Amino acid sequence: METSDSEYFESADEDFQSDDEDTKTVRSVTNDETSEKCVKSATTQLKNVEIGLDDNKSSGKSSVDNVRKDDENNVSTSKARNESSKKLGTRLSKKSDSVEKHDDIKVVEAESPKPDVNPTSKNTISNEENLWDESEDWGHDKEEENMWDNDEWEAVDEPSSQPEEKVPQSNTAWGSWGNWGVSSILTTATQSVSSITQGITTVLETGIGVPEPEELARINQTEKQKLKELSPDTEDKSTGFGLNNLVMGVSHLTKLVETTSTKVISGGLDTLETIGKKTMEVLQEGDPGLKKKRAFLKIDQDKPVLSQLLREAKEKAEEENKVLEEKHFAKKAKNYETLFDDHQGLVHLEALEMLSKQCDIKLQTLLESYSGESLTEMQETMDQVKELCELPDEDEDEQTSWSEILEKLNSAVSEINIPISYKKLIDTWEETEVWLNHLKLEVCDERELHQQAVETLAQLTALAVEQFHKAGELLLVKEHRSTADEADSLVQLTTSLTSLIGIVAAKFSEKLNAKSSNSKNKEAINGLITTVFFEAANSSSYIQDAFQLLVPVLQVGAV
Amino acid sequence: MSYAYLFKYIIIGDTGVGKSCLLLQFTDKRFQPVHDLTIGVEFGARMITIDGKQIKLQIWDTAGQEAFRSITRSYYRGAAGALLVYDITRRETFNHLTTWLDDARQHSNSNMVIMLIGNKSDLESRREVKKEEGEAFAREHGLVFMETSAKTAANVEEAFINTAKEIYEKIQEGVFDINNEANGIKIGPQHSPTNPSLPGAGGAGGSQGSSCC
Repeated sequence: METSDSEYFESADEDFQSDDEDTKTVRSVTNDETSEKCVKSATTQLKNVEIGLDDNKSSGKSSVDNVRKDDENNVSTSKARNESSKKLGTRLSKKSDSVEKHDDIKVVEAESPKPDVNPTSKNTISNEENLWDESEDWGHDKEEENMWDNDEWEAVDEPSSQPEEKVPQSNTAWGSWGNWGVSSILTTATQSVSSITQGITTVLETGIGVPEPEELARINQTEKQKLKELSPDTEDKSTGFGLNNLVMGVSHLTKLVETTSTKVISGGLDTLETIGKKTMEVLQEGDPGLKKKRAFLKIDQDKPVLSQLLREAKEKAEEENKVLEEKHFAKKAKNYETLFDDHQGLVHLEALEMLSKQCDIKLQTLLESYSGESLTEMQETMDQVKELCELPDEDEDEQTSWSEILEKLNSAVSEINIPISYKKLIDTWEETEVWLNHLKLEVCDERELHQQAVETLAQLTALAVEQFHKAGELLLVKEHRSTADEADSLVQLTTSLTSLIGIVAAKFSEKLNAKSSNSKNKEAINGLITTVFFEAANSSSYIQDAFQLLVPVLQVGAV
Repeated sequence: MSYAYLFKYIIIGDTGVGKSCLLLQFTDKRFQPVHDLTIGVEFGARMITIDGKQIKLQIWDTAGQEAFRSITRSYYRGAAGALLVYDITRRETFNHLTTWLDDARQHSNSNMVIMLIGNKSDLESRREVKKEEGEAFAREHGLVFMETSAKTAANVEEAFINTAKEIYEKIQEGVFDINNEANGIKIGPQHSPTNPSLPGAGGAGGSQGSSCC
């Protein structure tokens, strides 16, 4: 109990120290030996109260512990940890406040626990009070009952209805400071604390509002009177609570402090918490200086520090710049797939796939309708067509010339006997070749050259795929099919086209190599040459895949 | 060019009604009086903007010739919109509509938006099919109707764009499953679907991703 209490004060002390403005003040409180003594005695008293309050020690303790725990939890959850110093200030002021009021109420309660006894005190009683009224066990209930509620109702909730009357309230509500002021020992501490609390009072007044001054005065008056009348009772009660040992031999001051601290604890710290929260809310909003402090002390973990914010912003900007740069380059340099799509290669390939699939379905349906010999016959025919469509192994050593390719293309087209045309493809390459032959390498950037290579490959492949697609359509509507010729022609077309791709890649890499020998940027250019060959390989496989899609088309014509 | 969605359209109808001319007018804003017969299918593409979003229309212009009918049928699959075109100066092209419609409904997904187009509205003197007939047919079969002229470009833009709007609305309503490319809708390269089930958050200010249906 004692340890935890001292911990409580220590942590408060820490908080104070972290707040430079208030440190001195707080130290004057905490370093004052007497005041420490007071606190200690209060703590001891608390212990006794705890014991005395309930015959069952453990239950009493647990209830007190619970109260404290609740409070501590609240403190930790309240996000403005940095302001705990201010909070403590409030707490202290509240303590002193309660010295009076709590006593009064206690007395009133002792006299007659029913709420109808005193209309004034009834005024201050919350709905929680009703629970308390009904309960039988005085001591236990006192422990459980949150006496601080009374203060809360007076200082916080009631005031909210009358926010205008400020000054009178501060005089009456905090008038109990007089008690502290009388005690010479605590004068210094009190003064400093009151300077804090006064500040808070002002904020509280403006932020929360104050009760009607007349009413407050009346309450105060009545309560004070009651205190006077029933002060012996209070002492008796203390004895009854088992506080006898402590009460004996202590001065009026200690008594005051002891009652104060007793009430601080027994009164339930959660009410304080509520007040504290509200105060903090107000302080947070109203005091820019505190915000500055908070940022400086990096206490508020929820809000990132400015440097952190700036670092994050900088990182974000850098990332965006990078993306922009990449986008800019991407705009200039389209990739192969985009170019292939731009030249409608992709959509022709897609249509060819659909056509091929349709033919496959047709063949499957046919196969299912056949049986026995005719089924084997059909399967054999299909296999034969597939064999006809097998591409010869590429002879890498043998470089076919462009004129040879041209010749092969033309003969293949005439052989297949459908109106497909490679004119556009031929024109495209011839134009590019002319461009390459007249290219001034000193002027042309290697990137530009590389981009032209990719563009040419993508366009030629798209045109090749388009003609395969057209061939498929035309073969399907052709009246007299001759599968063997068709297959032979298509194989020729495919090999010619892949040869052309080889020529294109070779020609571009030749130019890039020439560029490389005169450049410091050899590695970069070699990288570009690699991608040219890579895209050329892609192009060849696209062309071969497109051709393979025609196999079912040929098979449909054969069966 | 990046886009939020790609819609696949098919243009169908009898030969000579002006399908390819409509496409050319829409993509190139020009008119070619003499046009080669379309073999199988030809393609056109144009970018449009709906609700602040870039949409690429990929148009499959099919051959109207009877010979290609079996081939073109295989292209219906995966179309989000269809322009069913007839020639207002040739009644038989109007009479064939039911066959085309049946074909389209049979070989495409049921949510496909079909726009009925009475083309060659510039040839009023030679009109054989009244506008009211077209309207009645469209009403009867649940189609959107419009009379166009590929020559004068009248209503051409509207025909393509209104179809796209209709598709877009269906996306917003969650009718189309954008993740199923058989519906003829592809999501653009920079637009990944986040919450397709959310029906139209509405407006460009909403979420660009959520509307990728």
